[in-house]
Amino acid sequence: MEIKTINTTNISTFFNQLVQSGKIVIAPVLKKSGKIFFERVQSYNQIETDYIQTAFSAKSVVFPKVEELFSYSKTTDNFETKQSLSDIPETVVWGLRPCDSAAFNYMTRFFMDENPDIYFATRKERTTLIAISCAKSDEACFCTSVGLDPGKTKGSDIQLTLMGNEYYVEVITEKGLSAIKTSESLFTSSTEKSKEKYLAEPTTKFSIEEIKEKMQNAYDNVAWGQESMGCVGCGACAFACPTCTCFDIQDEGTGENGKRIRCWDACGFSQFTKHASGHNPKPNQTARRRQRLLHKFKYSVENIGMVSCVGCGRCIRICPAHLNIFENILNVTKA
Amino acid sequence: MNIKNNYIPYKMRVAKITEEAPLIQTYRLEFVDKKEADEFSFKAGQFAEYGIFGEGECTFCIASAPTREGYIECTFRNTGRVTKALADCEENDIITLRGPFGNSFPIEQWYGKNVVFVTGGIALPPLRCVINTLLDQREKFGEISVYYGAKTVNDLTYKAELDDWANRGDMKLFITVDPGGETPEWKRYIGFVPTILEQNPPESDNAIAIIAGPPILIKLGMPILSKSGFPNNRIFTTLENRMKCGVGKCGHCMVGKTYVCKDGPVFTYEEILKMPVEY
Amino acid sequence: MKLLQNKVAELFKNGTINLMIGFKNALNKQVVPCFIENSSQAEQLIYTADCKNNLSVYLHKPEVKKIKKVGIIGNIATLRSLIQLTSENQLWDIEQTILTVNEKDEIILFKNMREVETYVQTYFPENHTEEDKKLLEYIDSLPREERWKYWMEQFSTCIKCYACRAVCPMCYCTQCTVECNQPQWIKISSETTGNLEWHIMRAMHLAGRCIECGECGRVCPVGIPIHLLTTKMNQELFKEFATRPGFSLKGEYAMNTFKPEDKEGFIK
Repeated sequence: MEIKTINTTNISTFFNQLVQSGKIVIAPVLKKSGKIFFERVQSYNQIETDYIQTAFSAKSVVFPKVEELFSYSKTTDNFETKQSLSDIPETVVWGLRPCDSAAFNYMTRFFMDENPDIYFATRKERTTLIAISCAKSDEACFCTSVGLDPGKTKGSDIQLTLMGNEYYVEVITEKGLSAIKTSESLFTSSTEKSKEKYLAEPTTKFSIEEIKEKMQNAYDNVAWGQESMGCVGCGACAFACPTCTCFDIQDEGTGENGKRIRCWDACGFSQFTKHASGHNPKPNQTARRRQRLLHKFKYSVENIGMVSCVGCGRCIRICPAHLNIFENILNVTKA
Repeated sequence: MNIKNNYIPYKMRVAKITEEAPLIQTYRLEFVDKKEADEFSFKAGQFAEYGIFGEGECTFCIASAPTREGYIECTFRNTGRVTKALADCEENDIITLRGPFGNSFPIEQWYGKNVVFVTGGIALPPLRCVINTLLDQREKFGEISVYYGAKTVNDLTYKAELDDWANRGDMKLFITVDPGGETPEWKRYIGFVPTILEQNPPESDNAIAIIAGPPILIKLGMPILSKSGFPNNRIFTTLENRMKCGVGKCGHCMVGKTYVCKDGPVFTYEEILKMPVEY
Repeated sequence: MKLLQNKVAELFKNGTINLMIGFKNALNKQVVPCFIENSSQAEQLIYTADCKNNLSVYLHKPEVKKIKKVGIIGNIATLRSLIQLTSENQLWDIEQTILTVNEKDEIILFKNMREVETYVQTYFPENHTEEDKKLLEYIDSLPREERWKYWMEQFSTCIKCYACRAVCPMCYCTQCTVECNQPQWIKISSETTGNLEWHIMRAMHLAGRCIECGECGRVCPVGIPIHLLTTKMNQELFKEFATRPGFSLKGEYAMNTFKPEDKEGFIK
């Protein structure tokens, strides 16, 4: 790890140099609808800098909403399949929050620990994550309740923290070092500084250790019904969430030519678990919402030792009924 | 990057089609690429994703025994989009196969033991794989009993094989049809599978039981096995759930923390009891 | 708020309702749906101009239908939804107790659906925001090709989360057209043409049924003003057939009603 600083007047130069390096640079952009999304940009003046959180996560960089697995075409008496993994470009994601970086960490464990996923692996290898610590938070933020905080560097390649007229730069990985290489003159070496007074202070809603223990027995709690009433069964939370990784596989094309793709899917959809016979193991929204919450706070812990919620609060903000995940968790773990 | 791409399928040629029962067919498949055939191996209990380009994939067990080389068999019922497209195939058509996925029956742990199979209808295919694997090494196992039934005589799968098994003389067979499903020539049992099982309870001493089938069969058959003295860790089953990726990523088949595709589909009843009833 | 809370508590106490679907305060100054199951929980209830959700969508949930005696509160759009749903025979299995709050902040408890019908026919407030009016004007001003480009650009951002469908009280099909895979009428993945097909199909299914509550546009995670598409459909239908959804318990659905006076003679 290397510690540097860069003057705020030089940050746009650094950013623009990243764009000029030929990499695809994805950063938060303010849209006409008033929402902020990660989008490809060509210069620093296109990006939004004053916001708490983007509407959607940056997971589409490593787990796109539609991804071609391969294309197929019929030959005389066989079929040919072609993959396009080599076309995946080098990408820099700028302006992630620490919760988002931690989410990339979770996704790496999820996709790679067992039966590693070559599509994810290829994209992740070609992605550099530059996070910006949070100076502000809102009431939906709860990173400190899940073992994270607004300045944590877990998962980031570079982390910037605004300290007055300069950014404190933690260059955590080799990838981070190589990203600042061409702009080295803009940076000054620095000693370690405390970020604390520059960070947001989201309220801690619960102790994650306590919740992990209480979730062991939460499945049968009658509170699930009440906590799921507001859920209308759309996929907004799953699609906005930086750690949701469920997908569908579909063939698009004819019997002779086309492609097999995977696309985002959501456990909240009524047909997600439905068998061809018509039998549905999760036949109502209560069962489906319970699955989502138990997956994040119990099953991920049992399977890979990590809670798969990073407390970014996107699901709360984007939900049509603003269902509150941390409130739900507290209520279903009450005795 | 030396990572296997789990989504690229093998191309398989349909070598033989057998009509088993109304809407149920068995396809014998051969690898188009002989090199892939040589590299491919699987264990009894594993499944594959069978597909048709342009339609999609669906999940069935590998119904042929791994001890029989040169081909793969699958048995399926024409139920939905992909199975319909598969059912419309003809010999020599190309379909896709991805796999093998999942865990397998721990057959090596059953050497010297008696093995009891309880199943019905279209749930025989996954167990038929195991039965034939045992029969191909007959001397390693004790008594092999099969309790199998279907709604009517016509609905029985692997009719020819059932006759072969009966003629072997080294298996105990209880083949039955539901009351009213018999034909005038039917000489075997008449009654629901759990009834026949209860009337002819298997010995649980030094024995393993494998039960697979529709929920009603499991619901009624499992207690009978327990009453006969089979402890939960000596009763095996194979679970079905909606699957897509087959490798524990897409999330469709999760039952609690368990991915049926990756951690199963073979489970002991002891493991099943620890899961929420979401299958 | 006290009056409303007391009224609802009373409804629980005298056994009129076993569930109240209303609104409560939540974080970030938001107002969210709440589901109250006894009188002591009634103190959470609020009703302000920020109460925009169309709560009638929850009346389709089996969990709600099971409770049978359900109270619901809403604005004019919600009341119109209830009328439209009643005319489509979707609420026969719920004993509804319907409340609203008028501009004078008076709580109105409707005795039956007829009273709701009279109320919505008497008050016909403009339910389009200034922002919506401006956008509608802009869309109307565009020549056809430009209007097409406008919507295609919007649809290119759609992520197929189906939030629009999920919050719509009129989308109550237990299996949506997109959930049919024999054939797969509309592709599942998000892609501009497929997204266009989804939205056009939905607009057609809603033409003459949408009561313009604006929920679909409000909840769209990517900010597509999708409510304006069905609003435009309704405007066309009103021009041609003089029908207005959510106004009469004997609702006439323009798309499947034939009258001898209709100018199209092909059916004769």
